[in-house]
Amino acid sequence: MSGYLDNITPDSFSGIIFALEGVARTIVLLNGPTGCKFYHSATSDNQTIRQFEFDPLNYPEKWYFGQPRVPCTYLDSSDYIYGSRDKLTEALEFLRDNVSFELLCIVNSPGAALIGDDLRGIAAAIIQDRPVVVVETPGFSRDICAGHETAALELLKQLPLRQADEKAPKTVNLLGLSVFHRNYTGDIAELRRLLALCGIAVNCPLCAGGDLESVKNLPNAALNIVIHPDYGLRTAENLNAQYGMPFYVCDGPPVGFAATEKLLREICVSLGADASPAIAESERARARAYAFISRVNSLTGLPKGVTFSVEGTYSELYAYTDFLVRYFGMIPSCLSVLSAGSDCFKDRLRALLDKLGVSDALDRDILETDSELVLASGNTIAKLKLKKHAFSGIEISLPSLGYVDVIPKTHLGIQGALLLTEQIVNGLMF
Amino acid sequence: MKEIAVYGKGGIGKSTLSANLSAALAQAGKRVLQIGCDPKHDSTRLLTHGHRLTTVLDYMRVTNPLDYKLEDILLRGYADIGCVEAGGPKPGVGCAGRGIISTFELLNQFKLKEHYDITVYDVLGDVVCGGFAVPIRREYADTIFVVTSGEFMALYAANNILRGIRNYDNEERRVAGILYNKRNVEDEDERVVRFARAVGLPICAIIPRSDAFTRAERANMTVVEQAIDRGVIDIFSKLAQEIMAGCTLYEAKPLSDEQLESVVLGREETVGLQIPAASTPGKKPKPALAVPEIDLTDPNRYLSKNMIRSEPLHGCAFNGAVTMSVHIRDAVILAHAPKSCAYISYQSISSTGRRGLFERGALLPVPLSPNLEATEMGESEVIFGGMEKLEDKINEIKKRGPKAIVVISACPAGIIGDDIDSVRLLSEPDLPVVTIKTDGNMSGDYLQGMLMCYTMLAKQIIRRDVPVAPDTVNVVFEKVVAKNTDGNFRIMSEFLSQLGIGVNCRFLCDTTYDRLENFCAAPLNLLAYKDYTGKLLQDFFTREYGAVFFDMAFPVGFAETADWLRGVAGFFERPDAAEAIIAEHQARYAREVAALKPVLSGKKLMVITYNHSLDWILQTALDVGIEVVKVGILNFSQDEGFRTRLDVPLPVEENYDRDNREKDLKRYRPDILLTNYASSIADEVFVADTIPMCPDVGFYSGLIMAKRWAQLLKLNLKGEWKQDERLFRQYYAG
Repeated sequence: MSGYLDNITPDSFSGIIFALEGVARTIVLLNGPTGCKFYHSATSDNQTIRQFEFDPLNYPEKWYFGQPRVPCTYLDSSDYIYGSRDKLTEALEFLRDNVSFELLCIVNSPGAALIGDDLRGIAAAIIQDRPVVVVETPGFSRDICAGHETAALELLKQLPLRQADEKAPKTVNLLGLSVFHRNYTGDIAELRRLLALCGIAVNCPLCAGGDLESVKNLPNAALNIVIHPDYGLRTAENLNAQYGMPFYVCDGPPVGFAATEKLLREICVSLGADASPAIAESERARARAYAFISRVNSLTGLPKGVTFSVEGTYSELYAYTDFLVRYFGMIPSCLSVLSAGSDCFKDRLRALLDKLGVSDALDRDILETDSELVLASGNTIAKLKLKKHAFSGIEISLPSLGYVDVIPKTHLGIQGALLLTEQIVNGLMF
Repeated sequence: MKEIAVYGKGGIGKSTLSANLSAALAQAGKRVLQIGCDPKHDSTRLLTHGHRLTTVLDYMRVTNPLDYKLEDILLRGYADIGCVEAGGPKPGVGCAGRGIISTFELLNQFKLKEHYDITVYDVLGDVVCGGFAVPIRREYADTIFVVTSGEFMALYAANNILRGIRNYDNEERRVAGILYNKRNVEDEDERVVRFARAVGLPICAIIPRSDAFTRAERANMTVVEQAIDRGVIDIFSKLAQEIMAGCTLYEAKPLSDEQLESVVLGREETVGLQIPAASTPGKKPKPALAVPEIDLTDPNRYLSKNMIRSEPLHGCAFNGAVTMSVHIRDAVILAHAPKSCAYISYQSISSTGRRGLFERGALLPVPLSPNLEATEMGESEVIFGGMEKLEDKINEIKKRGPKAIVVISACPAGIIGDDIDSVRLLSEPDLPVVTIKTDGNMSGDYLQGMLMCYTMLAKQIIRRDVPVAPDTVNVVFEKVVAKNTDGNFRIMSEFLSQLGIGVNCRFLCDTTYDRLENFCAAPLNLLAYKDYTGKLLQDFFTREYGAVFFDMAFPVGFAETADWLRGVAGFFERPDAAEAIIAEHQARYAREVAALKPVLSGKKLMVITYNHSLDWILQTALDVGIEVVKVGILNFSQDEGFRTRLDVPLPVEENYDRDNREKDLKRYRPDILLTNYASSIADEVFVADTIPMCPDVGFYSGLIMAKRWAQLLKLNLKGEWKQDERLFRQYYAG
């Protein structure tokens, strides 16, 4: 009865908050009720460990409400009528005088956006020594990718970016990464590591851990790499238009050995760097994966022919499907699209499926799937478990079922390809 | 009772006209109420002789809901006319339209209109948003006048007002006609007549531009009261007589902008001129909807602690109502909201389900698969209104055949004035549409939403005429987000089963529509929690349905469990069954307490917690010989008032804070510190442990914790990891 995938998914409001929470040493002040705050604070805190205990007395009741992230102005019905100026002023003065930050962002909740308060004017009178970025419209019911890009573009528009005469050679920015991505910490660590092997430095993972300085220096990198096109393509195009920055769009997030090697080779060609150390490591990793897959295969004939389902954005579906089909020889049963409004990879996914002869995978409901492997969020995996369907679930997006990753994990790059191989080998039923 | 809305462009003279009309109606012997719906709040000035009222919105802003008194916002003016001003924000800030909605909600709760024969609404200018359209909703105005002069902008506004009415009425007939307030501009009469003919409305009154108005205003009174200009008085008296006799009503037929321009500028006669079709006698408009059921004039109001104390709201009523209502498993819960609101609620509901599955392999249907959907309000809906989308979504859900549809509204729906109660009319005999108009946090905090959910669902679902189901109980107010809810219910069900008692309905946890409907069948009701909310709900069900409640909540700890079993068994007249269960556990409890005493006796215990009921742990502590040196109760949005049945003095301090914690830790140097969240501040304490917000029920809850402390005291375990806070601060903090 409940088709939550149709409409119970995060929207642009969450995308904006998580994007801005992804700028290091930033306060994201939510101009809205506490009801809009608790989830975002908890999720941001879980994803970015910046405090070590949950002692609510460490965070003041007003604005923080016992949580470490995303303070809010706790608007109520009276504020919708009279405006939020008083509470916003009080909160800004408290934050200015009591909390350490480099950048302050103010985001309207969906309700607050309707009353049209002059957030910028109010903030300008109170915070004068540090930059303030304002997002007045949370983008009612647009998808989370759109929200992420809205926030990123507002950062570019409202912050004074620096443009040096010459680009820093072999330096890149990473676009389209979000703290909302399940393995965000591990994703960035792996990308940094692989690029470093090629002699390439990362200036700013925009909205994914980069600090204010690195955001201001965005135009000085030699290249922008768009990791998740649904989350970063518009930003890359904007930087190209504004600052003439070239950009490289990944074939979806680099999931699997082939996608990773292609990314590294092409980036290195573009920047005049050497991909061979990273390629050598990839080949060693493939050798190790081969041994484990071969042992399973020799006993069972698997993983070839195993059916799988994936839930994700168009580019994520493309990346996972490409790897699982080409590398393991598995068969896509159902590909369920999240944030379908962000469809820059829709045609490429369709073309891939047409080529594989499995176009109908996009038409099937993942909640009805009988496939043996399901790569999805904890919610979808749990709902399928409730239906007593026998399968192995691999979490690729939030929310998690609850496993806490002390060691940062990733599905990207070489380490990611190995982890996915491990999860698939362990998830096969025979 | 008649309700008249007077609409027109700002500055056109609505307030003067409305006040004179009210005065004329009062002179004709009617009890009249005039409600000014303009932020500049001067609608009733001429009726109150210049006395400024406290506006409803200013009043609500500074007054505790429990202290609301009608006389604070109602002033009796000339001829005993009731005068109320909605008020509103300063120009350029806030949302005045939402202010109108809030005003009407409060006035409904006071049932103010019931004391009057006629209500006159004086409404600001154009219909600029859903809020200003409230008075023309069908449950309010039954007669609408449009005020205009011959100026283009006045006629433009009048036409827009007709558009607003048309949106609500389609072809219903509620417009009485035009009140033509002359400005003596060129070609004015012709323009107004052409407009009236074009929209098919009569000109009900022509008010001349007269010095009488100026003189009366200088004296802070109406022309009708001042009684100088007989001609003007006659106009209003005649209008009053027509209203009392029952005006002929017409449907709103607004013109397109092009038509309006051609009509007003007189370029050509408009096409489609229509003779007004008078309302058909006997034809009734669509039925009006009931006003919100909770009566603020009732001394027993069901308000959360945040609302009563005017504290910052914790969470939103929308989320509270959604979280509870998804427990009607065979209903679809429809959030009239942007996706974000439904998504956030979905995550908080499903987090306990995911965790239960991950930790214990538990497959709990409601938290793993809540039947929650959203209308996905977008930019278009928040600007143009979302009712059409809501109705479409309901009709789509109906095709899937759920047992019921429960509609709950979020902030944007409330701010723009979407009236979700109207979709109850989409109910079908076997498919009720139930509404909980939380409007996000506009009606209050999370707890207020829970209360609204209980009371609104009860009033719309529970049947009173069901046969009694003997030997059954209802379980009321289980905390659905606690991770031990299911386990606690199983323990209590087992106790009840041993007493030969079944469960009729869990209101409101993991249940069905039919079970809620049959709530009245059970002879006894058991509260799971008897905190502030539990007591409110007990009061509600007792008053509304004559429900009989057992005096204790689900028991935690040995003494409470024994008392609970004896009490419930006594109600069903089977005391022996209870004694048998108690005896089975008593010997074991005594044995285990004796074993713990050598380790725990004489140790000092300090508790800092949000829990307001701690007998379960304090009793065990006292049983094993622990000295309780301090009980610090933190302020908690969902409860207040420390409760104990222990007959020993306890060092309790309510509204405890961080400063006291540091001071008391130094002063008492406790051996054991219990908190809801472990904190590094407790590093000096020998045993620092956490206690759950919702403890497990049954005989051994306290004992299990005491055994854990004994183990920790024996071993003096600290954990070397605690020494690495320095490293965390170096590498991660900031």
